[in-house]
Amino acid sequence: MSKKYQTPLLDELKKGAFPSFVTEIEKAAEHSDMAADLLGLVELSYKERMTHWKHGGIVGVRGYGGGVIGRYSDIPEKFPGVAHFHTVRINSPSGFFYTSDAIRQVCDIWDKYGSGLTNMHGSTGDLVLLGTKTEHLESIFAEFSSRGWDLGGSGSAMRTPSCCVGKARCEWANIDTMAITNDITQHFQDEMHRPAFPYKFKFKTAGCAVDCIASIARADMSIIGTWKGDIQIDQAEVKNYKGKIDIQAEVIGMCPTGCMKMSGDQLVIDNSNCSRCMHCLARMPKALRPGKERGATLLMGSKAPIVTGALMSWVIVPFIKMEPPYEEFYELIGKIWEWWDENGKNRERIGELIERVGFPRFLKDLDIKPHPAMVKEPRRDPFFFWSEEDIVR
Amino acid sequence: MSELPQRQTDIGPPHYEQFLHPVIKKNYGKWKYHEILTPGSMVHVSDTGDKIYTVRVASPRLLSTDTLRVMADIAAKHCDGYLRFTTRNNVEFFVDAESKLAPLMSELKAKGFMIGGIGPGISNIVHTQGWVHCHSAATDASGLVKVIMDELHEYFTEKQLANRVRIAVACCVNMCGAVHCSDIALVGVHKTPPRIDDTNVKNSCEIPSTIASCPTSAISPDPAKKSVKIKLEKCMYCGNCYSVCPAMPIADPINDGIAIVVGGKVANLRSAPMFSKLAIPWLPNNPPRWPEVTNAVKQILNAYIAGAKKHERVGEWIKRIGWEKFFQEANLEFKIQHVDDFTFARETFRTTAAFKWTT
Amino acid sequence: MDKEELKKVIYDLVEASTGKKKLKQTDILKKVSADKGIEKDEVKAALRELVDAGTLIFTYFGGSYIEIPPKA
Ligand code: HEM
Ligand code: HEM
Ligand code: HEM
Ligand code: HEM
Ligand code: SF4
Ligand code: SF4
Ligand code: SF4
Ligand code: SF4
Repeated sequence: MSKKYQTPLLDELKKGAFPSFVTEIEKAAEHSDMAADLLGLVELSYKERMTHWKHGGIVGVRGYGGGVIGRYSDIPEKFPGVAHFHTVRINSPSGFFYTSDAIRQVCDIWDKYGSGLTNMHGSTGDLVLLGTKTEHLESIFAEFSSRGWDLGGSGSAMRTPSCCVGKARCEWANIDTMAITNDITQHFQDEMHRPAFPYKFKFKTAGCAVDCIASIARADMSIIGTWKGDIQIDQAEVKNYKGKIDIQAEVIGMCPTGCMKMSGDQLVIDNSNCSRCMHCLARMPKALRPGKERGATLLMGSKAPIVTGALMSWVIVPFIKMEPPYEEFYELIGKIWEWWDENGKNRERIGELIERVGFPRFLKDLDIKPHPAMVKEPRRDPFFFWSEEDIVR
Repeated sequence: MSELPQRQTDIGPPHYEQFLHPVIKKNYGKWKYHEILTPGSMVHVSDTGDKIYTVRVASPRLLSTDTLRVMADIAAKHCDGYLRFTTRNNVEFFVDAESKLAPLMSELKAKGFMIGGIGPGISNIVHTQGWVHCHSAATDASGLVKVIMDELHEYFTEKQLANRVRIAVACCVNMCGAVHCSDIALVGVHKTPPRIDDTNVKNSCEIPSTIASCPTSAISPDPAKKSVKIKLEKCMYCGNCYSVCPAMPIADPINDGIAIVVGGKVANLRSAPMFSKLAIPWLPNNPPRWPEVTNAVKQILNAYIAGAKKHERVGEWIKRIGWEKFFQEANLEFKIQHVDDFTFARETFRTTAAFKWTT
Repeated sequence: MDKEELKKVIYDLVEASTGKKKLKQTDILKKVSADKGIEKDEVKAALRELVDAGTLIFTYFGGSYIEIPPKA
């Protein structure tokens, strides 16, 4: 197929060493009019330095309240191929593992009904199919769901949970992140597909404090694997690291709590002072392994700066066992959602709600015992409220 | 219309187990340690003695089905049909013997894939949709990623740094792309409020939902014009109202631009996770290759390279030397926009007379 | 309460609110369960049938709402 539009600006982005998204759109344009028109539209954006997309219309599949994001060009007369260019969010499998056959299956369906363009993956973790028309949505859903795929979340709902690679290929995973993520996803299908919350809710699960999935920055509920008990030391392997790395400077000297030292050629850790930051384990993976009692710390509330400033998740449960059937966890989530439903305003994230009414109120209402792990430091003022039972009458 | 298969609802995603390489399945939860072999390959060794080798390649995230099929074919040929994607838009191929690494890597190279992204360098850039798919975009995302990685790709494929430098791009302040905790992040910013086209608001927008769309309650009805008005001092240029009402366009080619924030991280290693903080309030939107932006990123990166101690992340380096010193080292001008007046402003004021003299 | 009757109550509530205030799923559950003295889950089941049938739909304007589908 000859080129439908001249795209001198985008052509500049085919140059250079790194793989080019323009080349990808061009490949798709070989067999899709939608992709061909996308090239023309994006070229125009590059020329005018502004976007040519708008919202509008209501799109989705019957019965669901999410999983499709409506997108329309603001100049459909010029680029009819992208007059509609909706995104379909397919719920990715935990850990983003696929087989060649699974990838081909996705491609076959998408080539039939869509632009042939994808995002692997959207930032929330969905397998994103980029660009289709309203009339194809039901067909796409039937083709995918009949083959065992479902839509991800969007809107005021639980969003597609995601996780780090965990036990599948990481020695530091204290919890089975992929099993947990799959279980949460299956457990809350209704909450994902039929938006019932004040706003979005995201679960992200990391196997350890390295947090490769960035759960602490972008999940309303961040589940981060951790341990109790002593870091397991293989002293022979410690010796092997000598000469390869400077143990004193790179490991002991960088321990934030100063709880490590060498005693002769033995590495000694004062575990009661270790904050489990993961630095030493990451430096000497062969010599050090986490303690034996495994579980997770639950942190809650992170969100982007819109509207009242960015929040990072903070500790609400210092230690919880995360093992099937996760009863204690689901009971807590149920209570939290109920409280959010009762108290939250429309479009108020859980972290914002807690900020508005106060963390102590959250702890009281949910009957969670305060713990010093929940704060960096205690308050600085004596302006606190007492309740009736604190007063002697 | 041809027969469609029977739809099902609420079945959730396919179970991950069917997608795991047999060696990964067998050694699930039994991994002992890993070693980085090259910036694009690593080996994980299990307690059972089994090994799995991973080769990582970059992708632009925006992928055609054509390229996905090439990846699927390579995985079928070399990796028993198994592959994986990472959160940072890389693709991973697995083999179970060292002898299979070289053929896999040479085929990947021959097919034009860039191998790397493991270890203390620069992995792929987390980013959002931009002009390719979003109505709020103040800049493009894919294009910025491309031009920055074109400049820095040696840190993906071979060169090492004191620690990882995570880069992110968000094309507007909604920051779908999670830039708030990155070592270096670019955020598209609008500088001007939406322009209200009263006639079209009247004809094509639902006034109550337009008012409700504004996160800062800046929008109120304008009954005389059957339209809306914006309280300018309340507007934070987020573009939400434009999502709901296309008669309030916010895009402004001359004033839209790019802010750079630095020094964030999410990992807990050594120090607590940190938010990124403002380094440069505005750079012009200059497609297709954004020279001002790539230069600024290199300038900040070079200051980090010159100053950081081994294993220090950008934020840890800046914390050690102090932000006042950072502006000097990176040769950046400190402007009025750097002084916070938002939610957590008071925490940022310097409540000590001890600070470093800088020029 | 009879399910068909309940569905009518829900539909009427959404219809009465159209053009005035967009209702979220939770608004409907709270209001109907309080008015009629029934469990939220019962209201939810009835609402789900309405949505599955396409009589009501989920819409999105910054947040998710329940509305009557636009006439095609
Ligand atoms: C008021 C705030 C926000 C608005 C109005 C907003 C709006 C949007 C829109 C319109 C899209 C669609 C882009 C497309 O065309 O594909 C989108 C995508 C997305 N948003 Fe947001 N967003 C907001 C905040 C956030 C936040 C805080 C997060 C995450 C913490 C987030 C995560 C995402 C993700 C993951 C996507 C998918 C696109 C991608 O992967 O690049 N959004 N958002
Ligand atoms: C010394 C510090 C770190 C070590 C030793 C480390 C180690 C690792 C390892 C071994 C992997 C591969 C996991 C796998 O897929 O098998 C990984 C992946 C990842 N890590 Fe880290 N990590 C560190 C710091 C960080 C930090 C600070 C971040 C984020 C801010 C981060 C984000 C990620 C992400 C997103 C991945 C997914 C794969 C990718 O980047 O392509 N890591 N990390
Ligand atoms: C409701 C709470 C408080 C009351 C009623 C209060 C009252 C007072 C009074 C009467 C004095 C003595 C003034 C004088 O020297 O004649 C004083 C001094 C002082 N207060 Fe407070 N105060 C309160 C809270 C605080 C807090 C929360 C802080 C610090 C965090 C604080 C810091 C000081 C300091 C630094 C002095 C000066 C002590 C000195 O002269 O070295 N006050 N306050
Ligand atoms: C200290 C601040 C922040 C840090 C450290 C941080 C860090 C991160 C990281 C590392 C990711 C994931 C990268 C990956 O996929 O590997 C991420 C995702 C994301 N961040 Fe942030 N971020 C911060 C602040 C913000 C802010 C302020 C916003 C929005 C205004 C935001 C919105 C998002 C969104 C939307 C995503 C991805 C969407 C999702 O998956 O939910 N982040 N962030
Ligand atoms: S978060 Fe921890 S357990 Fe998970 S992949 Fe990263 S280092 Fe491994
Ligand atoms: S995990 Fe962190 S705090 Fe604990 S011993 Fe290692 S470096 Fe020190
Ligand atoms: S960051 Fe802004 S412009 Fe970019 S995809 Fe998200 S909402 Fe759209
Ligand atoms: S741009 Fe955002 S803050 Fe400004 S009026 Fe529109 S919705 Fe409100």
